[in-house]
Amino acid sequence: MKGCVQAALAGLLLVGAGCATTAPPPPRTGDIFLDAPAALERGPARDRVLWQYRLALAELRRGRFDAARPVLDDALLTLGGAFGPNAEARKSRRLFQAEAGKTFIGEPYERAMAYFYRGILYWRAGELDNARACFRSAQFEDSDSEQGQYRNDYVLFDYLDGLATAKLGGDGRDAWERAVQSARGAKPPPYDLAVNTLVFLDFGPGPLKYAGGEHGEQLRFRTAVSPVQAVQLRVSGQIVTVQSADDLNFQATTRGGRVMDHVLAGQAVFKATADSLGDAAILGGAILAGTSPRKSNQNEIGAGLMIAGVLGKIAAAATRPEADTRTWEALPQFLALGQFRLPPGEHTLTVDFLDAGGRAKPSLQKQITFTVPDRRDAVIYVSDQSTTPQTQ
Amino acid sequence: MKKHLRKSFPIVVVALLAAGCASGVKNPSGVPVTRMNADEQGFVAGTGVESQDLVAVTDKMARSILAIPQIANASRPPFIVLEPVNNNTRFPINKDIFNTRIRTELNRKSLGKVVFLDRERMAALERERNLKRAGEVTSSADPNVQEFLGADYFLTGELQGMSTRTKAGTSDYILYAFRLTDARTSAIVWEDASEMKKQGLEDAAYR
Repeated sequence: MKGCVQAALAGLLLVGAGCATTAPPPPRTGDIFLDAPAALERGPARDRVLWQYRLALAELRRGRFDAARPVLDDALLTLGGAFGPNAEARKSRRLFQAEAGKTFIGEPYERAMAYFYRGILYWRAGELDNARACFRSAQFEDSDSEQGQYRNDYVLFDYLDGLATAKLGGDGRDAWERAVQSARGAKPPPYDLAVNTLVFLDFGPGPLKYAGGEHGEQLRFRTAVSPVQAVQLRVSGQIVTVQSADDLNFQATTRGGRVMDHVLAGQAVFKATADSLGDAAILGGAILAGTSPRKSNQNEIGAGLMIAGVLGKIAAAATRPEADTRTWEALPQFLALGQFRLPPGEHTLTVDFLDAGGRAKPSLQKQITFTVPDRRDAVIYVSDQSTTPQTQ
Repeated sequence: MKKHLRKSFPIVVVALLAAGCASGVKNPSGVPVTRMNADEQGFVAGTGVESQDLVAVTDKMARSILAIPQIANASRPPFIVLEPVNNNTRFPINKDIFNTRIRTELNRKSLGKVVFLDRERMAALERERNLKRAGEVTSSADPNVQEFLGADYFLTGELQGMSTRTKAGTSDYILYAFRLTDARTSAIVWEDASEMKKQGLEDAAYR
């Protein structure tokens, strides 16, 4: 029996040592412009897209659009090619592998936002058809929600699809009508083709993921009430108050269940069952071994039961039903769009983020200097997290 | 019994090792670069526009254009302006690549039966002409004579898409339509299309 215990210990040591092949992720400093490049260079490949999302948004928020573009492009390449057999994804469904072992591409609302931000950059570059493609792909990410009423229900993506179509000489009314139908608050305005300045806005804290359930097998979202509820824009004597068109907290929490939730639920049941059976086997084996004479058959059966119980406990402990809670945490809660007709030339936009009472929050005020070109739209992106002042 | 336990323990340990270490990276030594033809589907694929589609579509269009009487029987090579492709799908693409490949294919296969006008470089061409007119650079001909050519035809393309996504997978249909329009009469003298449909399903871990 002593030999068995020694062999077991040696085995466990080997398991521990033999599996320590994955390099730990680089330590985080809290500065995205240090952490993201370090993670992209030396961190696990499975987190690459997550760090690209984070870095791209941080670049957008300090007005470095040229830096954000290639990062988003690379992330979207991974996102668009996630079809078919995928070894990491397959492993993440196994009993003893955590879901977070798969290559991150994000939940549908995160994927949609990656396309949305890329669409803004295409519009800035004057490629309206590619911008429209991104807004369509963004909406497409939301097209398989469990409940039909929550499918394809981003307002802004449809609105921008139609606006781009109209500006390209097509008929955007279908998309506009879909946007109006999806709107839960203020209805989006009809298209004004003379508008030449688009202000993309996002604000408030977005959804954060956490693992619920007894074994962390349920993916849940934590949402907070945003201190900002609307935005006031001032430029060249025009003052416009903009309400949110979309709420990412709503989008994240109305998706319904995932296929992966069923896989994780099954693993959680296995973990609980193996743990309970392990307890019962250890207890039963101990009683049997303790109450029977040494070297008797009952004593040995008792020892065998205890070993089986320990193995059951090991299997339970090794089962990883935890949901993947890697999150693009910098995402906003609200998306909005401001539109202006402005003469070509340089302008300064003042952005005030308003609380529920309509009062501006001075600490969040932004100043953006931008130029309206002659023959295409000026496209500005502002978040309550943006640096200020900026020139875009 | 004890003997059996002793014997079976190493097996259990090895099994644990094998199971526990199954999380290792696939292809830890990487995959060597695989040279592929641009018209074949690789092992990395999505449902969007890919190189094999580009090659198939532009090949077909180039062959089709050269066969029409307006080109094949023209008394002089017609002047053609390529307009940027209009992308009406859900896939952002590099649109210039379609025009570049069609133009190079036509130039390669037509042996001078068509002439493309370089409207993309008009700003640089105008600047050069103005320098010549100002006498700031040399000129091999009278720079005051208008020699920029007008188009006989416009070649335009449009990509249209239809996409479906359900729990069963993603399906994308893309129609690649090209047409040649007479610049004088606005008559469409040639039109052809190519269509592709692709379906795929992500691993359940992503659904």
